[in-house]
Amino acid sequence: MSAVWRDARAGLRRHRGRVLLSGAGIALGAAMLATAVVVGFGLNTGFQRSARQADLPDLIARFEEEPLETVARRIAALPDLAAYSFRLEITNVPLGAGSHSSRQGVIELMGGGRRGYGILEGRNLSSRFGEAVVEQGVAHAWGLRPGSQLRIGRLPALRVVGVAESPDNVAYPLAAPRIYLSRAALAERFGREPQPRVNVAEIWLRNRSLLNEVLVQARASSYGIRGLRLVTREGVKVLLDQAAGIVIALLVALSLIALLTAAVMLAASARAEVQRRLAGIGVRRAVGAGRSHIILAQSLEAALVAVPAGAVGVAAGALVANGPSDRLLQTINELPPGRALVPALLGCWLLTALIPVLASAWPAMRASATPPIALMRGAELRTPAAHRLPRALSARLAPLLPALPALGARLVAARRVRLAATVIVLGVSVAFILLMLALASELGTLENDPSALGKRYQLTASLPASATQRVRRLHGVAAAAPRYEVQAADAFSLGETVDVIAYTGNHTTFEAPPLLSGTRLGGPGQAEVGRGLAQVLGLSPGSTLAIEMPSGREARYRVSGIVDSLQHDGRVAYVTAASLLAVEPAAPEQIAVRLANGVEPSTVSSELTAIGAAPAAAGAVVGKGHGLIEALTGILRAVAIVDGLVCLYALIQALVLTARERRATIAVLRASGASAGSVRLLLAGAAAVVVAPAALIGALLERIVLGPVMARLAVNYATLELSAGGGQVALVLAGLCVLALVAVLWVARRATRQSIVSELAG
Amino acid sequence: MLEACGLVKGVGRGRAHRRVLAGVDLRVEPGELVAVLGRSGSGKSTLLHLLGGLDRPDEGAITVAGESLVGCSERALTLIRLRHIGFVFQSFQLVEELSGRENVLLPTRLSGAPPGGAARALRLMDGLGVAAVSDHLPHELSGGEQQRFAIARALVNEPDLVLADEPTGNLDTAAAADLLGLLRAITDQGRAVVMVTHEHDVAGAADRVLEMADGRLG
Repeated sequence: MSAVWRDARAGLRRHRGRVLLSGAGIALGAAMLATAVVVGFGLNTGFQRSARQADLPDLIARFEEEPLETVARRIAALPDLAAYSFRLEITNVPLGAGSHSSRQGVIELMGGGRRGYGILEGRNLSSRFGEAVVEQGVAHAWGLRPGSQLRIGRLPALRVVGVAESPDNVAYPLAAPRIYLSRAALAERFGREPQPRVNVAEIWLRNRSLLNEVLVQARASSYGIRGLRLVTREGVKVLLDQAAGIVIALLVALSLIALLTAAVMLAASARAEVQRRLAGIGVRRAVGAGRSHIILAQSLEAALVAVPAGAVGVAAGALVANGPSDRLLQTINELPPGRALVPALLGCWLLTALIPVLASAWPAMRASATPPIALMRGAELRTPAAHRLPRALSARLAPLLPALPALGARLVAARRVRLAATVIVLGVSVAFILLMLALASELGTLENDPSALGKRYQLTASLPASATQRVRRLHGVAAAAPRYEVQAADAFSLGETVDVIAYTGNHTTFEAPPLLSGTRLGGPGQAEVGRGLAQVLGLSPGSTLAIEMPSGREARYRVSGIVDSLQHDGRVAYVTAASLLAVEPAAPEQIAVRLANGVEPSTVSSELTAIGAAPAAAGAVVGKGHGLIEALTGILRAVAIVDGLVCLYALIQALVLTARERRATIAVLRASGASAGSVRLLLAGAAAVVVAPAALIGALLERIVLGPVMARLAVNYATLELSAGGGQVALVLAGLCVLALVAVLWVARRATRQSIVSELAG
Repeated sequence: MLEACGLVKGVGRGRAHRRVLAGVDLRVEPGELVAVLGRSGSGKSTLLHLLGGLDRPDEGAITVAGESLVGCSERALTLIRLRHIGFVFQSFQLVEELSGRENVLLPTRLSGAPPGGAARALRLMDGLGVAAVSDHLPHELSGGEQQRFAIARALVNEPDLVLADEPTGNLDTAAAADLLGLLRAITDQGRAVVMVTHEHDVAGAADRVLEMADGRLG
């Protein structure tokens, strides 16, 4: 074993430059993998972790203010209750701390019992007056800690005693600033309320599988309680899970690219290294070294580089990703994974160490199986067929390229498998960079482009349906129709609320969320339902949707098709105006206005104002979602940059390997009078033969495969056009050319600094 | 044509340092074929590398076609190699992906090479009798044919000085004799040829034989 150890260490000492390059590649791959794991793991497990920590209720009921006694009586009668508690949620309260303030503050007056939030710092509320617990987003944004002072309207200053998180809502600033006060403490100070009122009930069940039965019972016993909305724990999770799903899918794909890149490059490097040492291996075998000695020495040498490099990469990736990942989780009110990440990161380390070891062991195994005499005569691991392609190519390439770039191209093309692997790695990387740029750009448009959400109208006017003709005649209006929207409840699974939307005429002129299955709405008695609703209620084309209108009347519709809609998490149903008005004549109405191409909304808005309407812009992404979109966009752009580094590494490795294997050719050229510029030209040709097909593959892959696939993934939220634009393609191609140039200059500099004599000697 | 004075070259560092050349003087005239004879490790290849500007001496001066190789920049040295020096290597060093003709044309495609390279290459291949196999890849050629292409490549830019490192080392007796004839033909065109060899028979074909021993030419 000591001989193996000696050989491995000697191998490392002899080639320090190569060891550093290999180490850098492993570290880069490990860093990317760790980044993906940190963000992916955090997002994937964040909700469950936070819900557990916060003791999130199984069911949250929101309603208009009711006497606590009335509600408590109804809830106490529900089956399978483990616990329940009540809050009074007061909105639009002026809050302030230091120089920060908000007039949209939310105060949660907490009753006794379980609370549904977790304390991250400090302690929970006691029954003493003057204490407040603040939601973590507010604490972070306003710099509040236990002991800080907080102002609420005209109340005396309160002292922050704790910082809390609760995943039932996103954090400030995505949501309004939220603080928790003890109702008992207020009663202590201002006197007990004669008839306390509440508007939120939190319910914990003994057995979660009975949730649906409890929901039916709750709905049945809710008579007289106005504005009831029941939100389940799973319902809270849906949107966050879906949003995280896209990011996780991207990161997993990216880490696979990183791994593929590292594996391909390291395997190629190991093969070239073994190829170079064939004679030495032959001599060792001839003097009695066993196959295991050769394989172990090569593997140990790889392990001595991979283990520390992998550790450095994993640590660096985890450190870099931890901050942004924690901030993203904080934004959606979830907890960072903390120590739970350690096993996953250890797995990354193991993987990044194992791949190079196996990549080195395999060619060593093949070489050691070759007869020693053949090795000493210079037998190669490759097959003679490798010469055929360059010959066939030479006839075609020679007239197209200057001699030196053409030679470079032929040198790279001589290693077909490696060339194919490098082109694939680069092509996939380019495709992902394009996808991320397209996605980042599309996320930006979600903020101000309603059409991204399937909405084709730009304005609404608060006018009666009878004014429709008048609106249609306005300059710049392409179409206008009465639009009705009510919030109803599913009559079977009574916990689910449904936004029922109706138009007079064809609704797809104004709203056309993508149709997933079935057909568009064909007439009265039919409904197109959102995927969210279809999933919750198990609906499919042909099923019956029964809904209870606000007036209490029930309507039944046959489901004609399933659509993807962002509105209300997809819990939406499109019906005809006639069928809605038949059961809900008082449905609120407005006029949806679709503008002609190129017309500014402001122009039509002023005309609408002139006829007495109050125009409003059709909503795109809710304004509060700006921060989340910004965070996601930032992550996507950062990942695109890291992916660019992978491209650079792949290019450098490909050129280094070519230059290393063909050092004698380069030395002959230099001996014949080739300058450093000529060597750069040669390598530029080598880079071009890798970059050109990779760019083509990348652009096509993004346009034909990744863009559509990702658009389908994202369709739960929005209609995204994820094909990269010409500008983005040009930008990425220019970036790729710059990376190729950097790689060429760096490798040429290395190659021309070597002594011609030693390179000729091989 | 070639003049070298007081060439000193050492290899290794510290205790491992060894002086390979200990003051070599050499002068070669146009049209002269000079053989440097010596045992393996005597420093003859090192001398050839210095004369060709592939390596720099620790001390001494070298002039090729009136241009000094010592003290000039790497760029200038590259140009001197391109315009004045041709190399013939023992293992031929043909680029395996290129045909014989493309190998010969390679130096003509370098920036600064004299014009008319393609015509010269054709003439050379004709003259050396390898035109018929010029589209073959190196592994499809015999050793003698490979060496002829290597010689054509060394001559294609019409150098004043041709340096040959063990040019017969990989050839059989008949092919070696052919090669010596070719080197003689080169000198007949007014070029100087310096070849290093450890074979007395080969050295015997030269105009002048210099023996390398203890880092000096005798």
